[in-house]
Amino acid sequence: MAVTLELSNIAKRYSKKVWGVKKMDLQVKNKEFIVLLGPSGCGKTTTMRMVAGLEEVTRGTILLDGKDITDKAPRDRGISMVFQNYAIWPHMTVFDNIAFSLKLQKIPKKEIRLRVEDTAQMVKIQELLERLPGQLSGGQQQRVALARALVVKPKLFLMDEPLSNLDAKLRVIMRTELKAIHLKTGATSIFVTHDQSEAMSMADRIVIMKDGEIVQIGTPDDVYFRSASVFVAGFIGTPPANFFNVHCHIDGKDITLTNENFNLSISRERFENLADYEGKNIILGIRPEDIEIVEESEALFSNEIMVIEPQGSHQVVALNVSDNIVKMIVPAETKLQYNDTLFLNFKMNRLHLFDSDTELRIN
Amino acid sequence: MNNSIKRNIFRSARLTSLYIVVAGIALIIIFPLFFLFSFSFMSDYETYSEWPKPLVPSVKAEFMIDKDSEGYHLYIYNKSKKDFAGFGPISFNNSETDLTKLSKYIKIQANCKISIEDINSYLSIVDRDGEIRFSARKDLFANYILFFQVTRDAGPSVLRSLMVALFTILISLSIGGMAGYAFARYFFKGKNILKIGVLFVRMFPAVSIAIPMVIILAKMGLTDKPLGLSLVYAVGQISMSIWVTASVFMSIPVSLEEAALIFGTNRIGAFWHITLPLALPGLAACAMYAFIGSWNEVISAIVLTQFNPTFPVVVYKALIRSQSQVNLITAGSITQALPAIIFTLIIRKYILQMWGGVKV
Ligand SMILES: Nc1ncnc2c1ncn2[C@@H]1O[C@H](COP(=O)(O)OP(=O)(O)O)[C@@H](O)[C@H]1O
Ligand SMILES: [Mg+2]
Repeated sequence: MAVTLELSNIAKRYSKKVWGVKKMDLQVKNKEFIVLLGPSGCGKTTTMRMVAGLEEVTRGTILLDGKDITDKAPRDRGISMVFQNYAIWPHMTVFDNIAFSLKLQKIPKKEIRLRVEDTAQMVKIQELLERLPGQLSGGQQQRVALARALVVKPKLFLMDEPLSNLDAKLRVIMRTELKAIHLKTGATSIFVTHDQSEAMSMADRIVIMKDGEIVQIGTPDDVYFRSASVFVAGFIGTPPANFFNVHCHIDGKDITLTNENFNLSISRERFENLADYEGKNIILGIRPEDIEIVEESEALFSNEIMVIEPQGSHQVVALNVSDNIVKMIVPAETKLQYNDTLFLNFKMNRLHLFDSDTELRIN
Repeated sequence: MNNSIKRNIFRSARLTSLYIVVAGIALIIIFPLFFLFSFSFMSDYETYSEWPKPLVPSVKAEFMIDKDSEGYHLYIYNKSKKDFAGFGPISFNNSETDLTKLSKYIKIQANCKISIEDINSYLSIVDRDGEIRFSARKDLFANYILFFQVTRDAGPSVLRSLMVALFTILISLSIGGMAGYAFARYFFKGKNILKIGVLFVRMFPAVSIAIPMVIILAKMGLTDKPLGLSLVYAVGQISMSIWVTASVFMSIPVSLEEAALIFGTNRIGAFWHITLPLALPGLAACAMYAFIGSWNEVISAIVLTQFNPTFPVVVYKALIRSQSQVNLITAGSITQALPAIIFTLIIRKYILQMWGGVKV
């Protein structure tokens, strides 16, 4: 697929000590829905603003459809944007808000009306066109901001945490609608969020950022099942992955990972690149749903239940393994009680192994 | 039960006394203004011969003419004595000169227009019946008209004052507004010190800058000109405008402008389409301050004008010159207050938006 947006080696330095983005390389393909995900302050907004032209880059180039737009004014870039606080203009009606860019382009009045009404229909605000933003609810304002950005038919559609000001229920509804709109319009999109479940549910590819740098780029499956680092594994998933410090012992064909709670034997074939770690400490990551309740005879270790958090469709059980809170997901039907002793094992094909020093993935 | 009644009584007593105090304060402020207003419609006779003064100016005057061996006598109804009192010459006859004098006297003293023919016809009735009572409509605006007739330069000075006010608004709003925008949107070294600094200008009494200003304006060739005076006023107003507009611009989220940049305009367009309309209430408030500040200013204006005084100077000079005609001066004062009031009424919508709790 054709590349729409290409960021090469871009960086943003706000002042001597403050870097907004340290280094970023990213290619966004045509019609792709990319989500920038990361904790607050990791540089997502800065990246967006550089792409939008609201912030000058300190270094690097931005190509859109093969053209260098690094130094172009925002309006000449062919992008549009939804702001986190909506940023719809309070002194204009909804119609005027949406029509603003079209009017500036001197498009005939009739066509403007048609396009605005079409877009309004798509985001379900066709009845609100004559209202002022002050008379709208947060969710409706959000839709106006969306319509305003969609109506210009941009080459690239930027959204900076557009759902974070909505209440939890509406957020989930809008998530679905946004994705439906994306599928319908096929607009190449970059969506920023700090909410990993939002990212997982919407993205074609997720870009995970930390401290102004990209940690991993991949599909939701990639980042979930093949997390590139401890940070990613610990950031993605509800609840996120559990970690154990283990000692790696290699003896011929057998590899044993030990700590005070268990001795885990794994076969060498699947973990080729563990060879260098003989005698060293590594980090073992395991996702909550990859811990299984088994018969006593098959157990890797046993532990008492500390807390049970029922979720309806499943339950989250928290254990205290040597002062390390471990969370696991158990089917709703399993009858459990506080203080029950559980016999547990890991799904062997779902182990995540990380280097203790670099915290990067080994397997 | 008993307790709650007590509490209720106590509460309403407290509320009532609060209202009384508030109403009292309002009265203390409003009453002199009202009296000034009322005075400006009174004739000389009402002003100097009636005591206590009526609160509301009358719209007509009542007269009586009778006749004895010496000739005709004119009386006017004195509202405080509740009786007719002698008015004008002790006696007069129906000669042309006497009647002309009498008509003039009535016009000046009672603000009523009675023509010689009318008096003649009244006199014929007196000849027949012995006396006549008649009333005449008072010319309410006589003081205002007279003020502009007798005070040299009053009319042109109003124009000059308007020009000064307009220039002051333009200068202080454009320079102050731009500075305010910079203060609100950009970070630069020494920003806060500078922002406090602009207030220093306001801390000097007007006279203390007025005198050096005379020299500066003279060098610029702007002494005794509206533009020169408005420059002096703008100095003080700019700092005011900077503070007000800076806070107004700060209250307008930057993202609104950024959205405009993305959706097809440049910085100037964003300011024009988005920021300016949203800031209008604040700017209107600034304009009002600048208007009132320059319109009412006397001290600098006296120092800085000579042959082209502003209206407040004219009123002030009329006040210190005339010991007698208080009602004329009140007419001048009301005339001076009027434009400020009208201007405030015109932009009140914006002021209310700014400080009336209606969010922009
Ligand atoms: N205008 C600015 N001036 C200085 N530092 C800034 C500015 N904007 C953001 N930063 C800093 O840059 C870093 C990245 O910020 P941002 O891109 O807003 O993060 P995110 O959107 O991921 O929460 C943060 O450390 C933030 O403090
Ligand atoms: Mg952000």
